Amino acid sequence: MFERWSAYRREVLQRDTLPSWYATRGRRRALAAAGMTAMALIWAATAVSWNLAPSDTAMVVSLSLLGVSVLVTLPVISLLNIATRGTMSLSERLLDERQVAERVRSFAVAHRVMLGVLVAVAAVVLGTDTEEVPMAAVALGVVGLFETHLLLPVLIAGWRAPDPPPDEEDEEAAEEDGGDGGDEPAA
Amino acid sequence: MVAKDKADGKEHVHNRIAVLRAERGVSRRELATALGVHYQTIGYLERGEYSPSLYLALRIAAFFEVPVEVVFSLEPFPRLGST
Repeated sequence: MFERWSAYRREVLQRDTLPSWYATRGRRRALAAAGMTAMALIWAATAVSWNLAPSDTAMVVSLSLLGVSVLVTLPVISLLNIATRGTMSLSERLLDERQVAERVRSFAVAHRVMLGVLVAVAAVVLGTDTEEVPMAAVALGVVGLFETHLLLPVLIAGWRAPDPPPDEEDEEAAEEDGGDGGDEPAA
Repeated sequence: MVAKDKADGKEHVHNRIAVLRAERGVSRRELATALGVHYQTIGYLERGEYSPSLYLALRIAAFFEVPVEVVFSLEPFPRLGST
């Protein structure tokens, strides 16, 4: 069952679904930036709840921010997973050595960024009067920490990913149009 | 020394995978399947954007049935037709 699910996910991640959304580095970076903005919305919701809860305004604003964040995050993460061909989400035994190396690098960067987030959260919590923190703010803060921890590696992998080599059919078409097709790759 | 080479962009392994592949009429996907790697990895290798592990380098050489130094070099390979 698990094997079949893994094989299915692997197959889906190799398909070019909506390729124009992640075809260039600029577009992948735009997707990663949208994902980071969605993550920031959760932290904004936490700040709103911290300052205004319990109140109707806090509930409406927080739930709206949470909803927008989920709506942006789901497609962004799906597309970045396809763009990176599952480098961050597939089991390591399904990846080759280049993909594993890229995965390790992205996790290392995400680890450092997450450490910065934790330091910032600790500084805010320790530097504020925390005797009467609304439970909603604590819950949203925990959601924000989980989401940041889970999504940062994918966003960083999408941000870092170089443009993939063109398909051979495209290269052949370019050569037929007059490209010289040198015998050595560019150093 | 290694850090300096890396900073200078000298830590680069040149290869002839594209030439050998064209010569033998092997597509990227066929080579990738034979080596058990993703087909994009072959493209990155050919473009010089990824240097393979010794294990993968030896397997590539074995696939083309040539010594590893025929496929990989620390110095640029001479262009075809040059002396």
